[in-house]
Amino acid sequence: MSTAELEQAKTSAKLPPHPERATMEGRNKILGLWLFIGAETVMFACFFGTYLALKGSNLDGPTTQELYQIPMVAISTLILLVSSLTSVLGVLGMHQNNYKKMMLWFGVTVLLGFSFLGLEIYEFVEYVHAGHTFAGSAFGSAFYTLLGTHGAHVLFGVLWISGLLVQVWRRGMSLDMAPKFFSASLYWHFIDVIWVFIFTVVYLMGKV
Amino acid sequence: MEQAKPQQESQATESDAKHLASFAVMIVLTAIAFAAVTMDIVPPAMVVPLIIGLAAIQVMMQFFTFMHLDFKKHRITVTFIFTGLLFGVICVVALKYLV
Repeated sequence: MSTAELEQAKTSAKLPPHPERATMEGRNKILGLWLFIGAETVMFACFFGTYLALKGSNLDGPTTQELYQIPMVAISTLILLVSSLTSVLGVLGMHQNNYKKMMLWFGVTVLLGFSFLGLEIYEFVEYVHAGHTFAGSAFGSAFYTLLGTHGAHVLFGVLWISGLLVQVWRRGMSLDMAPKFFSASLYWHFIDVIWVFIFTVVYLMGKV
Repeated sequence: MEQAKPQQESQATESDAKHLASFAVMIVLTAIAFAAVTMDIVPPAMVVPLIIGLAAIQVMMQFFTFMHLDFKKHRITVTFIFTGLLFGVICVVALKYLV
């Protein structure tokens, strides 16, 4: 794409097809986010391994069988899975030059992210009342480190996407914004990927 | 530009349906995993391998449909992410069986 075309694309409301890869900066941002995801995969894998090694060491606290409630986990899973779909619908809205659709679906993603966090906080409060605390046992430490790191990622994700929505709302959509939304949605899918393993390895395997 | 437009739009609606379809498959995979654990339909020894397998399929679907990963277009990216996954699996197996 020539400089003149690029300037025209930046100022006009209609973005080129696949606007997130239209500039070198955009392509580098996306590659950088994938490298970050690769590194995060290894970090979360270590937390999963630690959890699997320590989940039986509950001292006199509750066991995984007593603690976990499948209905609550099912609701959290549904919320996060749907939010993954809504963020991809937001990206499709961007590709269709339909910014109302993009803002709507990313807004829904943020709301779902906040409801997931609310449910997780409620769940942790319940667990602490049941005697399952961070410092109570090796199981507790491994559990809250894994789930807490994931929850912190969700919190960062909703703040990031909210920030992008405010930026578009105040300045309008432009070619600069496209890679930002695309990488935020990649990050959000990654959070969902981690959750797929959390509900499988932590909750469901804790009930087997 | 005018000629390219209809094709671009038909692609877009196509991918809307494609994403909804893969979302439906993910929901079904999740439901099977929950059912395998809560109901007594799978032999107990098979439950853990089954749900780990379902999770792996679901993650691949996230990567290749929702995250638009394409091996032919983004070789470097795919190589990096699968290297990360490989190291991740080694870490999990080592911590689980050696600690």
